[in-house]
Amino acid sequence: MIAFWVLAVILLASAIWCVTASKPVYSVVALLLHFAALAATYLTLNAEFLAVIQIIVYSGAILILFLFVIALLSSGVAPFSVGPNRLPKIAYPAIALVLIAVGFLTWVLGRASVAAPAASPGGSPVGPAGTAGVFGSVSDFGTALFTTYLLPFEMTALILMVAVIGVVLLAGDQTPYIATKKRAEDVRREMREAILREGGQ
Amino acid sequence: MNPMTVPVANYIALSAVIFFIGVAGVVVRRNPLIMLMSIELMFNAANLLFAAFARAWWHNAGHIFVFLVITVAAAEAAIGLAIVVTVFRSAKNVDVDDVALMKG
Amino acid sequence: MPVTMLHHVMGVDGYYPTLIALWLLPLAGAIVNWAFGPQLKRTAGPLGSAAIGASFVATLLLWGAATQHSADGALGAHQALFNWIPGWDFGLLIDPLALLWALIITGVGFLIHVYSIGYMDGDNAFARFFAYMNFFVFAMLTLVLSDNFVGLLVGWGLVGLASYFLIGFWFFKPTAVAAARKAFVLNVVGDVGIMFAIFAIFTAVHSITFGDAFAFAGSYGTPLLFVICLCLFIGAAAKSAQIPLHTWLPDAMEGPTPVSALIHAATMVTAGVYLIARCAPLWSQNPDAQLLVGTIGGLTALIGAILGCAQWDIKRILAYSTMSQIGYMIMGVGVGAYEGGVAHFFTHAFFKAQLFLGSGIIIHALHDEQDVRRMGGLLKKLPFAAWAMGTGVLAIAGIPGFSGFFSKDQVIYGMLTHGPHSHPWLYVLGIVTAGITAYYMCRLFFVTFFGAYRGDVDPSSLGIRHPELAGTPPSDHEKEPEVEHSPNAQWFMIVPVAILIPFTVLIGWIMFGGENSPWAHFFEQQFPHPALNVPAISEGLTGLITFAVVLVGIGIAYMRYATASAQSNAVERLRSESIHMPAILTHAFGFDYALDWLFVKPAEFLGRFFGRWLDPHVLDGAVRETVISAQWLGALTRSFQTGLVRAYAFILVFGAACFIVYYALAAGGFH
Repeated sequence: MIAFWVLAVILLASAIWCVTASKPVYSVVALLLHFAALAATYLTLNAEFLAVIQIIVYSGAILILFLFVIALLSSGVAPFSVGPNRLPKIAYPAIALVLIAVGFLTWVLGRASVAAPAASPGGSPVGPAGTAGVFGSVSDFGTALFTTYLLPFEMTALILMVAVIGVVLLAGDQTPYIATKKRAEDVRREMREAILREGGQ
Repeated sequence: MNPMTVPVANYIALSAVIFFIGVAGVVVRRNPLIMLMSIELMFNAANLLFAAFARAWWHNAGHIFVFLVITVAAAEAAIGLAIVVTVFRSAKNVDVDDVALMKG
Repeated sequence: MPVTMLHHVMGVDGYYPTLIALWLLPLAGAIVNWAFGPQLKRTAGPLGSAAIGASFVATLLLWGAATQHSADGALGAHQALFNWIPGWDFGLLIDPLALLWALIITGVGFLIHVYSIGYMDGDNAFARFFAYMNFFVFAMLTLVLSDNFVGLLVGWGLVGLASYFLIGFWFFKPTAVAAARKAFVLNVVGDVGIMFAIFAIFTAVHSITFGDAFAFAGSYGTPLLFVICLCLFIGAAAKSAQIPLHTWLPDAMEGPTPVSALIHAATMVTAGVYLIARCAPLWSQNPDAQLLVGTIGGLTALIGAILGCAQWDIKRILAYSTMSQIGYMIMGVGVGAYEGGVAHFFTHAFFKAQLFLGSGIIIHALHDEQDVRRMGGLLKKLPFAAWAMGTGVLAIAGIPGFSGFFSKDQVIYGMLTHGPHSHPWLYVLGIVTAGITAYYMCRLFFVTFFGAYRGDVDPSSLGIRHPELAGTPPSDHEKEPEVEHSPNAQWFMIVPVAILIPFTVLIGWIMFGGENSPWAHFFEQQFPHPALNVPAISEGLTGLITFAVVLVGIGIAYMRYATASAQSNAVERLRSESIHMPAILTHAFGFDYALDWLFVKPAEFLGRFFGRWLDPHVLDGAVRETVISAQWLGALTRSFQTGLVRAYAFILVFGAACFIVYYALAAGGFH
């Protein structure tokens, strides 16, 4: 119980710090802290595989990606400056209203009774973490992923492929594709000379 | 089965608050990178809820869903960042309000 | 064999080809003259006259059929034409009343057509004139020959149209155009009255034929009957120039003189008299309406006579005299003295046509001079015109023996014999007006014919303020040289007038003898004969009193205009009379202003209201406002597209929040 409250405080604080930080790198650090606390929360919820995935994928991949982009965008450019804020003034009271709605929703949902089932509908046994085959373990998760939920798994693979193609298309090297190797050499030489002539980009 | 020591309502409230902190981040901040991070916050709030209910109902469909959400979020973050890079590669300010070409 | 052929030509029961020919021949003449005018050139005149002449012959042939009862007991010859909708049966009817009118229309009309061949000689629009004149005769015949109210109304409207055409015949004259428009507008006011009367009659008896309308005369009820008679009289007053709708008649003299003779003296203006005489069964049931009509007729007679004393244009003098004499006719048929009123119509047609045609001869001879102040001394110069005008003046004044005496006397005496308590005031009015009539007609004669010729005198010394308004140019180019008429043209003008003279003088004798006269016999079956009062003053005594008053009038005129001393300083006297003419007379008692305020100004106001305010502001404004509000809506919707990513994100979130709250509530979370 105490664990929950401590972790909740860390989660909220880091979230708020992430959103309000003045420098993007601070936001990334805050987010890292947030993910760490979230992984700990998963552990308290008997979801050890999820905790590990959270650390590896979110903190280890996505946040590093964010850092690379921050580096890319801030090279040779003035620090992120702030122009005039053009959000309509109505947004601020509206956000307040939204938060009130959130509170209301939470209260409503909290009063709803969530019946706990008698037996485990998932079919997975319950036991302390670390035991093989229990609810939340790797084998339990893997079994479910590759049998019951095979289709969504394959679709995510497709999504990832699309994402990779999109990223390469959008942000990749814009060099045109040349068929012959010799011709490619000539084109590359011309481009280099053009860049040198114009004094770099 | 031992029930959760922490009632589900707590997790619901926590998830909702984190979600709306993310929303506020998207709406208020003008830096596209912060906005994308706020979107990640929202994803994680939803993941927390899934995980909480998976534990409450001893059903591992929640875990699967979290996995799928993480995957999709990764893909989305990648593409979003690619767009940001493309748009703001040669921009003076990294400010989303300047990209208001679709006005009117 | 010839007898049966003649019988077939005159028509057998239900089928009268002669009647149809009588009705349609003038229309054929009009169409031919109108369509082939340029090719016909001078033959348009004889062609038009022949059409009317043939109609006259047809009318004579129908005399027998018109005065007898047909198989089903109705008086006269009835030819059914067609049935349009149930209750609307159109046909032609010629009974003694219609026969009389048709005789005048075609007979006097024929003479006037022949006269026009001479009068309009030299005019560029010769054929168009005859086309319009024939069209008018056709329209007038439609009016008198119809056996139903709607046909009568059709003829009524068409004669108004023909009058508009003919008054404005010289359409390059703005005064003529204005006069034509004024006549038409006032006639339309009358048309509305008749339409309402027809509506009322149809609502009551579901038929428009005269027979049905009169058969149920007793079933209308007094209020409805009074309203019907009143509405009919509004129409009659407009068409027959009774006050207050008389103002168009003096201005109608802008038309050529034959037009004035035919339309505005002999026939069209008497359509109101015809209408009242035709609807005699309705009027005889309603003494209140009779009193109203009689009074207005009498007042018109008096006012017309008074105004006639103040005119200097020879045609306007005759116009006011027409108005006055029609007042007599209306007075007669109004109170129920139908034979008297119709008799005065009959004699008036002859002597008024004669007066107008004679004045036309004078106008032509003096090269379109119409102001009598510039005439004078024409006794020696135009002797035939003097004879024509002289006999006409004697007839209209009512000198015993001449035609006008008998008919006028019948009307005046009828004021005493008809009516629940007789009409002594109208009696006195009639006699006084007769005296005034004698005065101003003799004034006309003396000033025109006696003394020295004043055409060379400077107009201003005669008191003429607008010399350019005197006279009417005959064509739209410059005054042609002296020899503008063909040498025979004058005979075309002289012969018809010469034919009219004996009628003017002698036709009155057919009315001599009271109830035993040929006139009374002719109309025995036509009109209702209620019980008559037996007044203290006999008819003979009435005639003597009238004659005495007439002599007084002639005497006054003689003293003012015809004595040697009057003629010696004629220029002075005319000038002083012109200058000192009371304004109320020169403005004709202000009727023009009153009608202007009553009809014209409201119409102009409505026009300005609709045209300048309602149309641009309300109607166009509605369209403009629709466009503007569409634009405003577009602008409003467009204001959401800020292009700001964050704003879009916010709206997304806001919408999602609304959804969430809604489902939270709908899912029954509120315990």
